Amino acid sequence: MWLWFSKLGSPKWFYELSGKWLPWLIAAMVVFMTVGLVWGLLFLPPDYQQGFTSRILIVHVAVAGTSLAFFPLLLVSGTITLVWRMKLADMVAKNAAILGAWFSFITLATGSLWGSVMWGTWWEWTDSRLVSMLFQLFLLLGVISLRSALEDSETAAKACALLSIVGCINVVIIKYSVEWWNTLHQVSSPVSMDTQSPNGPEFWIATLIMIVAVYLFLSVSLILSTRNEILERERKSQWVQDLVSKS
Amino acid sequence: MKPHRRKKLGIIIFIAAGLSVAVGFTAFALKQNINMFYTPTQVAEGEVGSGQHFRIGGMVKTGTVLGATDSLKVNFVTTDFISDVPIQYEGILPDLFREGQGIVAEGEMDANGVFQASRVLAKHDENFMSPEVKAALDASGASAENHSPVATN
Repeated sequence: MWLWFSKLGSPKWFYELSGKWLPWLIAAMVVFMTVGLVWGLLFLPPDYQQGFTSRILIVHVAVAGTSLAFFPLLLVSGTITLVWRMKLADMVAKNAAILGAWFSFITLATGSLWGSVMWGTWWEWTDSRLVSMLFQLFLLLGVISLRSALEDSETAAKACALLSIVGCINVVIIKYSVEWWNTLHQVSSPVSMDTQSPNGPEFWIATLIMIVAVYLFLSVSLILSTRNEILERERKSQWVQDLVSKS
Repeated sequence: MKPHRRKKLGIIIFIAAGLSVAVGFTAFALKQNINMFYTPTQVAEGEVGSGQHFRIGGMVKTGTVLGATDSLKVNFVTTDFISDVPIQYEGILPDLFREGQGIVAEGEMDANGVFQASRVLAKHDENFMSPEVKAALDASGASAENHSPVATN
């Protein structure tokens, strides 16, 4: 098991394996994204009160849910960086922070759009769900700037890993903010199997497809950017030299 | 696992656990401060000091919305089905504002016990329904308001 673990940490091995997976992941992403967006934005039934504005939430819910995966991902990669000093973990972490910031931003933007129509406000500083999500964006921007501020890449990797591990607690706060405190933001919708009750399959199947699509998008983006990172950091190694001379 | 790695992992777990406990206690201590609004019951129990600017959240009681014909003034009663608080507001209401809907109002209590709101926001609950489902539920006598409990605690 430890042998497999250290093999996984080898950038060369990851580069080769991810190269084989990428076409399949991209194909799956295109299928799910197309079905999810077309269904969600063009064919989803309107809500009886919100009308077609509820369609914004197809994108919002999928991106928001996925954005909560970044800190757990950074927790795992950060721990590996600190304990086992695997170079690959830090390459993943670097790009995950940037992607996570974008996901958080899109969550806030789509949420604001919906809120401006439904709540009558773009932003409420007193809502703990909204503010904790903004805090996640700032934390990730903090991780990104911390890395660029430190010149030594090994120190930067360690500092970012530590900040990410500490920042992980915010995910729990985001998740439960709507249950622990009174907020303007609604709690998570419970899904229902019954077509004749609220939150029936007509709503959540499209949302589920969109969630899978966004997760696939996250995987593809992360793999592509990590591959670039590998080539850049390993540019002096023999296998990258060989790869470049072959192409 | 090598001893120095085990030690490092131990330190990380210790930091994470310590931080979780600290944040947990802080969140618990700040419980009321982080709440966005008070419920009508909390207001009735006198949890809000007089002259204080605060937010109140509850349902718009059915049959209580009285709009003036010559201005944007509107009076309604907000309820959590235990206590009621009358609210007066002048301004544009959000589209979602209607009877039986959750709202959050910001303002202060006047001497007559009427909440003078400077802002009214609509709160949407977690239920999504197509017009067909809503019509079917209404026909069977189980409307959304009846089986969704108050969205406030």
